[in-house]
Amino acid sequence: MSDLSLDVRVAMRDAFHKLLAKLSREEDVRHAMDTAPGYSARLWEQMSEIGITGLLVPARYGGIGAGPVELEMLMEEAGASLLCSPLLSSGVLSAVVLSSSSDEEIKARLLPDLASGKRIGALAFTGNRGLWTADDVEVAAAQTRDGWRLQGTSSYVLSAAQADFLLIFARRGSGCACFEVDPKDPQVVVEALPSWDATLRISKVICSGATGTPIAGADWRIAERALDFARIALVGEQAGGSRRIFDITIDHIKTRVQFGRAVGAFQAMKHMAADLLLEVESATSAARCAAQALTEHAPDAGALVSLATFTCKDVFVQVAASAIQMHGGIAFTWDHPAHLYLRRARADAQLFGTSASYRERYLAQLEQRI
Amino acid sequence: MTRVTKSTSDDELRKLVRDWLQAHWNASDRRPRDAAVQNWVRVVFDAGWSVPTWPVEWYGCGLTSQQAALIEAEFACVHAPGAGLDRFHLAANTVLTFGQDVLKREVLRGLVVGELKYCLLYSEPGAGSDLAALRTRADREDDHWLVTGQKVWTSGAQTADFGLLLARTDWSVPKHQGISFFCLPMKQSGIEVRPIRQITGDSHFNEVFLDSARVPATHLLGQENAGWKILQTALAYERLMMGEGAGERRVGQEWHASQNDNSVDLLSLARTHGCHENPWIRQEIARALGYRHLNALNTDRAKAELTVSRSSSLMSLGKLAMSRILHEDARVMTSILGASSLLDGPQYPDAADVNYRTANAYMTSIGGGTDQIQRNIIAERVLGLPREVEVDRNVPFGSDRNDTAMR
Repeated sequence: MSDLSLDVRVAMRDAFHKLLAKLSREEDVRHAMDTAPGYSARLWEQMSEIGITGLLVPARYGGIGAGPVELEMLMEEAGASLLCSPLLSSGVLSAVVLSSSSDEEIKARLLPDLASGKRIGALAFTGNRGLWTADDVEVAAAQTRDGWRLQGTSSYVLSAAQADFLLIFARRGSGCACFEVDPKDPQVVVEALPSWDATLRISKVICSGATGTPIAGADWRIAERALDFARIALVGEQAGGSRRIFDITIDHIKTRVQFGRAVGAFQAMKHMAADLLLEVESATSAARCAAQALTEHAPDAGALVSLATFTCKDVFVQVAASAIQMHGGIAFTWDHPAHLYLRRARADAQLFGTSASYRERYLAQLEQRI
Repeated sequence: MTRVTKSTSDDELRKLVRDWLQAHWNASDRRPRDAAVQNWVRVVFDAGWSVPTWPVEWYGCGLTSQQAALIEAEFACVHAPGAGLDRFHLAANTVLTFGQDVLKREVLRGLVVGELKYCLLYSEPGAGSDLAALRTRADREDDHWLVTGQKVWTSGAQTADFGLLLARTDWSVPKHQGISFFCLPMKQSGIEVRPIRQITGDSHFNEVFLDSARVPATHLLGQENAGWKILQTALAYERLMMGEGAGERRVGQEWHASQNDNSVDLLSLARTHGCHENPWIRQEIARALGYRHLNALNTDRAKAELTVSRSSSLMSLGKLAMSRILHEDARVMTSILGASSLLDGPQYPDAADVNYRTANAYMTSIGGGTDQIQRNIIAERVLGLPREVEVDRNVPFGSDRNDTAMR
């Protein structure tokens, strides 16, 4: 993946920022979370116009061909405004799996529409335990006279109910491989799961002999690659979300008056605020460094991605949770946005593995490097 | 050598510095080429590279800070110390900015090259976080001042030639407005230095008792009663020194990279104590190593931001972050050692180390402003939250002031 020039990057970020300020305001988020698809088709279309939907798709398939640095930067904007969209599922996970495969036919058939946002992809690659590891894949692929058939359940599949095509990892032989599955196949049931984060769309995907088209060169290493990009997207979202809810909180404690003073004049508030600033800055540094390291294929990229992942998961939850406490009663109301950030933070904290699992991964990576 | 000036081109300047270093500094051994050199900084100073932004009449070349940065970069390239003292040397820069010419002639050169030592006489038993409440007095007598009072947490007081001293010179005005800043000669009979024994057993710091110690009127810095403002400048240099952390920047005669690395190999320690596979310990270790790693990433980002703007809010977070790192390291080490952390002494070096670190972490979380004061500073100066109410801010200090709380 090539790097974009700084000018192009900044222009994209500005365009995305403006778009989100217009179409991903709090009222838009609240509207989107009450609809079945969970996102605005108009916003998605305009995201496509400025290249966001095809950010990671190579230029020869109609995308931008950007990499982790651009992804992280744009996801900070997305996280700040709690963007509701199938971007993570389609523009990140599906885009990376397809682009990294060696299957020219499938790439040529799916990527251009994915890049333009016309079709949405969803990647099913974990089971009911939600570990996002190869061991956790519960779907089995079997070869029959009429081709490959898939059997088993995938869970925590992002945007599956919105998807035009499914990419499902299944056990094949001793390893795992990815198959393209048509969600309209009668042997496929997409069962939407209720989520505490009402902006999230997750489903179970149950295959009972569904037809799978094998994707050449798409083994678990490609799932790992997609996970790396998803982690970068997530840490960007978390860093951006943390920063925004922190800023909202600081504005509040500067203006909310009790005992004749802005409550931010009290040390109890100041000390929480100072501690949270350190967390927000650390999350931002970690997210950006991880993206940079991954782009440069730095030898410590793996450890940096793990560090950023557990840091940003924990920080977003801590900042969003503290924000409610620092606001007091007003943030206990549904109408206040603070809980929307906590919901997103708690969802992001679980996606693609827990922070504890990433601390273990970080340590193991450090041990390997010694 | 050719004297450089403001109009020297960047390329020319770089070449001059590079050639000079090539001739005088052995980059591979990180030593001066001339083995007879006792004081490398003096060699650098005499060549004009230590304080290039200073005015020509005071040992400098009147260069811009951009030009000085080029010089520092060349020195950094070959790990040679001695450059950038016009940014870092707290005492010399304070004296240059606020000192009278008599004082500058007497001490500037010696301070920069490290032949004169100095200490800081700021804190007092009754003036810690609230430094402006200090009660050491200076009274004018003809051509000198007489200083009486007690200072505390003074490092290097035994060897110092001069102390940068804050003393009250007007008791009839509010606390910030009656303080003056002096350069006090330390080698005199009115000064007694007593080491403080710290909770670690070390003695880095001293109490300094001042009993009619004499300071010449020529050693007053800035205007009488303007000491608080001068202190702000001195503190800015101090923060700059602390902010840039480790490196080859230590002022003085030593030319080895300063060992400012207080990190600890938690993984090896866990292996030694047989708990490196314990999942709970591993979580603790990863968290502690993560804090240190994150602080390094924050510092890198702060430096990058400083190249495009004058300040970075990240700088003020570093000290708070380091406090947490040091306390967390010690806590995790204690978890790793378990019962063996009960032990101490040279036969039990791991235990002695963790016990020392546990106690010494307070040096960072209390020294140079407690974590709590630091949080106030971050909240007020970085985040713009309203200032803390200071009930005594505009009240005349008064010689009969007692230390009971004001209402």
